[in-house]
Amino acid sequence: MSAWNAATGGGDRAGGEPAEDVLVEEKQSSSVSLPVMMTPSSASGMSLSMDMPRKRKGSMDNQDSKSTSVNDADMEDDQIRSDEEDQHVKIKCFREPHSQIEKRRRDKMNNLIDKLSAMIPTCNPMSRKLDKLTVLRMAVQHLKSLKGSASSFSEANYKPSFLPDEELKHLVLKAADGFLFVVGCDRGKIVFVSESVTKILNYSRAELIGQSLFDYIHPKDMGKVKEQLSASELYPRERLIDAKTGLQVQADLPVSAARLCSGARRSFFCRMKYNKISVKIEEKESHANTSKKKESQKYCTVHCTGYMRSWPTSQMGAEGEGEADKQDSSHFSCLVAVGRVHSHSSPQVNGEVRVKPTEFVTRYAMDGKFTFVDQRATTILGYLPQELLGTSCYEYFHQDDLPHLADRHRKVLRSKEKIETNCYKFKTKYGSFVTLQSQWFSFVNPWTKEVEYIVSTNTVISHDHSRTSRSGNKSEQSSNSKASEDCKKSLPIIPGISTTPGTMIYAGSIGTQIANELLDFNRLNSSPSSGTVSPFSLPQDKSPQTHNQMSNNVPNGETPDMEMPGKSISEDEPQGAAFSGGEALMGENSQLDLDSVVGPGLSSLSNDEAAISVIMSLLETDTNLGEAVDFEEMHWSL
Amino acid sequence: MTADKEKRRAISREAARKRRRVESDVFGDLSHLLPLHPSVQAHLDKPSIIRLTLSYIRMHSLLKESIRTTAESTHMVRYAQVAEGREERSDCDGGQDEEEKETNMYLRILEGFLMVLSTEGDMIFLSDNVSRYMGMTQTELMGHNIFEYTHPCDHEEIRNNLRLTAEEVWCGEKRDFVMRIKSALTHRGRSANLKSATWKVLHCQGRAKMCVSPSSVSYLLLTCRPLPLSHTLLSTHTFTSQHSMDMRFTYCDQRVTSLLGYSPEELLGRSIYELCHTLDTHCLNKNHLNLCLKSQSVSGQYRMLVRGGGYVWVESHSAVIPAVRPSKSRPSVHQPLCILCVTYVLSGVEEPFLQLSLDQTIHRHVS
Repeated sequence: MSAWNAATGGGDRAGGEPAEDVLVEEKQSSSVSLPVMMTPSSASGMSLSMDMPRKRKGSMDNQDSKSTSVNDADMEDDQIRSDEEDQHVKIKCFREPHSQIEKRRRDKMNNLIDKLSAMIPTCNPMSRKLDKLTVLRMAVQHLKSLKGSASSFSEANYKPSFLPDEELKHLVLKAADGFLFVVGCDRGKIVFVSESVTKILNYSRAELIGQSLFDYIHPKDMGKVKEQLSASELYPRERLIDAKTGLQVQADLPVSAARLCSGARRSFFCRMKYNKISVKIEEKESHANTSKKKESQKYCTVHCTGYMRSWPTSQMGAEGEGEADKQDSSHFSCLVAVGRVHSHSSPQVNGEVRVKPTEFVTRYAMDGKFTFVDQRATTILGYLPQELLGTSCYEYFHQDDLPHLADRHRKVLRSKEKIETNCYKFKTKYGSFVTLQSQWFSFVNPWTKEVEYIVSTNTVISHDHSRTSRSGNKSEQSSNSKASEDCKKSLPIIPGISTTPGTMIYAGSIGTQIANELLDFNRLNSSPSSGTVSPFSLPQDKSPQTHNQMSNNVPNGETPDMEMPGKSISEDEPQGAAFSGGEALMGENSQLDLDSVVGPGLSSLSNDEAAISVIMSLLETDTNLGEAVDFEEMHWSL
Repeated sequence: MTADKEKRRAISREAARKRRRVESDVFGDLSHLLPLHPSVQAHLDKPSIIRLTLSYIRMHSLLKESIRTTAESTHMVRYAQVAEGREERSDCDGGQDEEEKETNMYLRILEGFLMVLSTEGDMIFLSDNVSRYMGMTQTELMGHNIFEYTHPCDHEEIRNNLRLTAEEVWCGEKRDFVMRIKSALTHRGRSANLKSATWKVLHCQGRAKMCVSPSSVSYLLLTCRPLPLSHTLLSTHTFTSQHSMDMRFTYCDQRVTSLLGYSPEELLGRSIYELCHTLDTHCLNKNHLNLCLKSQSVSGQYRMLVRGGGYVWVESHSAVIPAVRPSKSRPSVHQPLCILCVTYVLSGVEEPFLQLSLDQTIHRHVS
């Protein structure tokens, strides 16, 4: 296969044709991209890979490398072979007329020429479209001028690299958002650090070189880093995970055997100091407070990856002095690594990342009991988290708000959307009430589709203005009016809940009852596949206690649709095909947001489909498993 | 009449041939101007020549923005030389050589390749080590569109990542995502035909970059790293765990006790979602979805609750392990489809006396 490539020159032979996009990759000396999968039998004319091509979902490899071009006189050796193969193709699996193929090739070329003319400054101002030859000639001129200006580029001529290394290096560091550093293993002396460190840690190179790395590492991570630098054993305590069994095995062989670089790899995280930007303010502060006010040092988490190197100290010159006596006589061991700061959440900010000061988050179990309370709640509610944990949220809601919150609770358990509550009062530790407004959504496990818990983002509303609900949930309008009607009644009547006098006595049980409703419903309607209900079978509230003259517990005010379990489709949740339909649905919603980020989500598939898609992705992804996946050994266990 | 026609045809054919020759010559000129090895230049076909020319022009304008002074670069080279302790330092050409080696070192350390993507998805530039990971050379791939090489199910996500607002570009907005790309490497590491390509899971990280002239264009600058299935672990501050597909623990190694306080037995059957900070639900969800759809994932940083109070920042690298059935060669092994995680603990225990979850109020820390 590689011999074939070499013979014909490694030209663009490797383009693929995507199944979904119609874009066809046509190159002069390369193959016809036929829409049909080329099986080995039809490829008899080709001397290429004799492997049975694997059929996989979304396979795009239906291209064979034959040439169809007849116009290109440059590739003579191709020509002969390709003509022969052409015949084969025509006879065996020709689907398109040759003119179509030619047309596509021409279109592709024209497209490229257009792009080229757009990039060349001299072509741009031309009002009329330039012909191919002129564009090409102008391109030649342009390249010549580019090469003239930047001397470094012209030097790249005799080296087989597209970019001068300096530039490449710069790009790499910019992309990786990292800095290169070399530290001696013995004392952690920083022997080298790249310029980019300034942007990341805000220290200049001069400040760092020659210093000990340990001066810049969080005290608690020093032990970790020391361990990583220990070159006493070249491969200390390495463990590999056997991909086939998922178990750990002790590595007898060095991991890096297959790699170009010698030496053990290191990969670890550590917190490194970073220099604060403004110095003046700090000085003022230290003058004002004569007492030793230690400023909290800021750290950022750096992911360091690299490998160990060992050099003869004779080479090191000045750098190696002082190290030599510590090491075994002639070698200087060091770590050569790149440090990268991760984009999401540098943890020096204590979790206040996305939540405003007047907000706090909580988690409820399905029955409304607090299972997680963010520490910010304490300043707002007065309770410590542990005082709330385990208790039902209903114990703190004001009487008047119980009906509408119960309604929301019911809704959120049955919906995939974020549900907003109206403003409601929450009892603080000191007996007073604070006005909150919350956004709830039930977090569903992507695999099992079961509700894990309800996440609530709670905002404090100042007493002056009462906020109208945002338009997140269309059904809210109708329920709003209902809820406010409910509130006007003196006795809170919560539909579905047996009304007994007293408030706190049954407040807690409201949640439990609502949760039980759902469980009962699930039991009644469990789908046969795996005992978990597909979300799509619960479009409406089918609470057995259909009480309802007064309020719509049914989302969106539609009449309950007594349906078959399994795959009933609610009107406002279009599913469509697994992949495309998912998009429309996953608008502004919480976990559904992810689907637009991550791709067609599992939530749009049934359990079986989800399981199958996982299996398929595994079959397709042949990452370093070492040998082909054996189909007999696949075991579908759900 | 016919003779006349014949003659005219002959003339037009000759003209066509001449045109083609002229065109080929211009293509030849263009290919010689490309910074490639002569042998590579000679074998490029016409569309490739244009593609590579486009890449060259675009990269040139991109790099023009970030010009480095000569002083800086020689300074760096000198340090690199010292650091590398090279013997061939005295060569006059050593300068160039050093640069190359240093750059290669960067990419080797990162264990990946560099990709510059236009907002339409054209792979304008790829570092030449891309062949080690994808089995196809830089010249074969450069200029092509990434959508031709990636899994269709990941296209949506890629598109979302390519979408950049002007403000985001200005700030050099970061990107971090996982996608599947074709790899024509065989198991033994040789290049095979694209037809028998397999999917490789790539972790792409990088940022947006803007280029002002000739016109305002933005690019994504990414390092792409295949996610490995074998990890080099060290004993402290990492632990491994196995989970069923719903992310409930089915196994956890002993080190978790010293790091999080739980005994491995306590964790069995518990969902990871219970054990994380609520603000990180989204992060874990995304990780889970990536795992299910692409079979591998890197989680980014999130907080795991420590037994009895407080939390630690962690990052997990996970993969789905295919099911193993007892077979003739391994009669005792039986394992369903599961997820394997390697979790790095990044910080110490923060707020150790703060109990955030119900679970923490029940149990005390086991140290």
